Amino acid sequence: MAKIIKIKADDGSEIEFYDEIKAQGGVKDVYFSPSKQYVVAFYRKPLNELKPSEKDRLQNIVGIYKERIFNQAGGDYWKKLFAWPEKSVEWNGKIGVVVPFYDKKFFFNGGPFDGKEKNGKWFASAKLRNKFLPADQKGTWLSHLHVCIKIARAVRRLHAAGLAHSDLSYNNVLIDPLSGSACIIDDDGLVVPGKYPPDVVGTPDFIAPEVLSTKSLKIDDPNRKLPCVYTDRHALAVLIYMNLLYRHPLRGGKVWDIDDPAKDEEMTMGEKALFIEHPTDKTNRVKIDDLEKSQLPQGDPSKLPYTICGPYLKTLFDRAFIDGLHDPQKRPSAAEWEDALVKTTDLVQPCQNPNCEAHWFVFDNTTKPQCPFCGKEYKGQLPILNFYYSPSRGRFMSENYRLMIYDKQTLYMWHVNRNIGANEKTSNEDKKPAGDFHFHNNQWILINRRLDDMYEILSDGSKKSIGIGDYVPLTEGRKILLSTKEGGRLVIVQLVNN
Amino acid sequence: MRRLPVYILIDTSGSMKGEPIEAVKVGLADMMATLRQDPYALETVSISIITYDKDVKQILPLTDLADLQLPEITTPDSGPTHLGAGLKMLCEKYDHEVNHGTINQKGDWMPLLFILTDGKPSDIQEYNNIIPIVKNHNFTSIVACAAGPKAQIEPLKKLTDNVVSLDTMDGNSFRKFFSWVTMQVQAGGKSVGTTDSVELPAPPAEINIVI
Repeated sequence: MAKIIKIKADDGSEIEFYDEIKAQGGVKDVYFSPSKQYVVAFYRKPLNELKPSEKDRLQNIVGIYKERIFNQAGGDYWKKLFAWPEKSVEWNGKIGVVVPFYDKKFFFNGGPFDGKEKNGKWFASAKLRNKFLPADQKGTWLSHLHVCIKIARAVRRLHAAGLAHSDLSYNNVLIDPLSGSACIIDDDGLVVPGKYPPDVVGTPDFIAPEVLSTKSLKIDDPNRKLPCVYTDRHALAVLIYMNLLYRHPLRGGKVWDIDDPAKDEEMTMGEKALFIEHPTDKTNRVKIDDLEKSQLPQGDPSKLPYTICGPYLKTLFDRAFIDGLHDPQKRPSAAEWEDALVKTTDLVQPCQNPNCEAHWFVFDNTTKPQCPFCGKEYKGQLPILNFYYSPSRGRFMSENYRLMIYDKQTLYMWHVNRNIGANEKTSNEDKKPAGDFHFHNNQWILINRRLDDMYEILSDGSKKSIGIGDYVPLTEGRKILLSTKEGGRLVIVQLVNN
Repeated sequence: MRRLPVYILIDTSGSMKGEPIEAVKVGLADMMATLRQDPYALETVSISIITYDKDVKQILPLTDLADLQLPEITTPDSGPTHLGAGLKMLCEKYDHEVNHGTINQKGDWMPLLFILTDGKPSDIQEYNNIIPIVKNHNFTSIVACAAGPKAQIEPLKKLTDNVVSLDTMDGNSFRKFFSWVTMQVQAGGKSVGTTDSVELPAPPAEINIVI
């Protein structure tokens, strides 16, 4: 057993670690603490070779930036989404950071990969999912949506603090599809515009096209593009696409350079980057013959096109991979992704095929809904709630927002009132279910659990109260006012019959 | 999907018999086990092993990491080190096994080549003749490892600038060498620096890079 080293961190607290390198990253060596509460990661480059700005950045990351994000109301929420460096330390002429140990759900437990970190790549590649990942580790399509929400939310928070991650990739985002969690790691390479330049251009698959195509220019060339908030947005879009569709959005069949695969790769992801599902430019379509059997069916966009992610995400993928691929300003922000992902969770239906691997799918807005993953058609009545809001008294406008109903589903306050959001700021009070849906005695019903001003709007325009504990059947065209308070929504029920 | 072919040439001449070859086997087995837990490697890496003594054998044709089983490696009691013949077979297998791609289909990545020897090429004429041919085949990198006190560095330097020397041939130094090789194979999926290409961890202290 290696001996235990005891040193004092910059804040005066005592730090212990075994004198044995347990893992090596691109620039750091990682040591474990006996308590398993934290790890200590030292930069291989000695302290006296570090630029003053590099040291300054680390001190800000464990200082003012940590304060800004974590030591505020709601700060505890973010601790689950980041493995943020807590303290800086010096030892043997090297500088390092103390980082909390990742939660145990981010390590495989049992199976062929027992004890290994849940690197996001395991879950975002068709071949790895189909050939290697044990079935009980895959999670469902809905839990992958939850993972994406966490990633988008964490990136939104970083960007709101004026920071860019600069190296978002599956190596730096651990995910647990079983619980729908994600954790952003390696947060010490953060870029602060105008203050701390990036050390890395990113990880292959996630580097923005403008960064790759200007990579050969000198670092101080004004035309050289380096990681920033806009390149984070590209990486985020790729992460979301890969986590929901298990293929890369730019890796198609087009060969740009026959002689040199590395050059071809650089064109594919850089200067010539083209969305494989571009609606009109078919140059870079996936060629099925190029794929291994283990990459199917997910690798084939004609079988599982990106539109299966629903209308909100389709719009954003278009902006990220068509309009904004070579025009960074047009890429959707992390906040837009978060919002679209949250709204998409309201469109999912459980698949009626008990053996379907995805378990959930997005309602395709047709009268004959079908699970795109296993092909199972939905049988029975399917209620849809269309939401309307009231810009002024007595007027209601469509919000282009709907909620798909399934048995034992929950109505939440963020459905009831448009001024309440589903995010880290949602109060505990607002997290309590407002009502629930059931298929009971051959009809769909909504039971009111705690709304004191819920009404049915009758055909003559009069209001009939639906008290707490009462129910209202969901039939075609029925109008339900969920709340009379400001921001309260009106629901119009639609029923698909199959 | 592009594969990353990895060719490993192992010296099985008589002097490798005993502890050295056993240590190489353990190193290879550890390398496979580590790569099989790495999602990047599992998705892309294919491996081939060629052994050379007085005979040259491709004991493992280029095989997907997930599907391969390490074959038995045997060494004769004594005999020469036909590295030249080994490299000749390497070039033939390269031409035959690596997918070069066409204008309509993506090929494989340029292969990595690792050569391990504890002596010097006995077929020096053939060795010198094959070097320009090896260099004409495109490899992402060629790493030659000179293991033990009798290994000669000079002939290897004609082939590649990237020569690593191991002072001893015990299990520990081979284990460290193979774990360094493992990192080289895994590097394609890692962060890329803003100034140079990929910044790799330095080789472990026990092995020396000859420049």
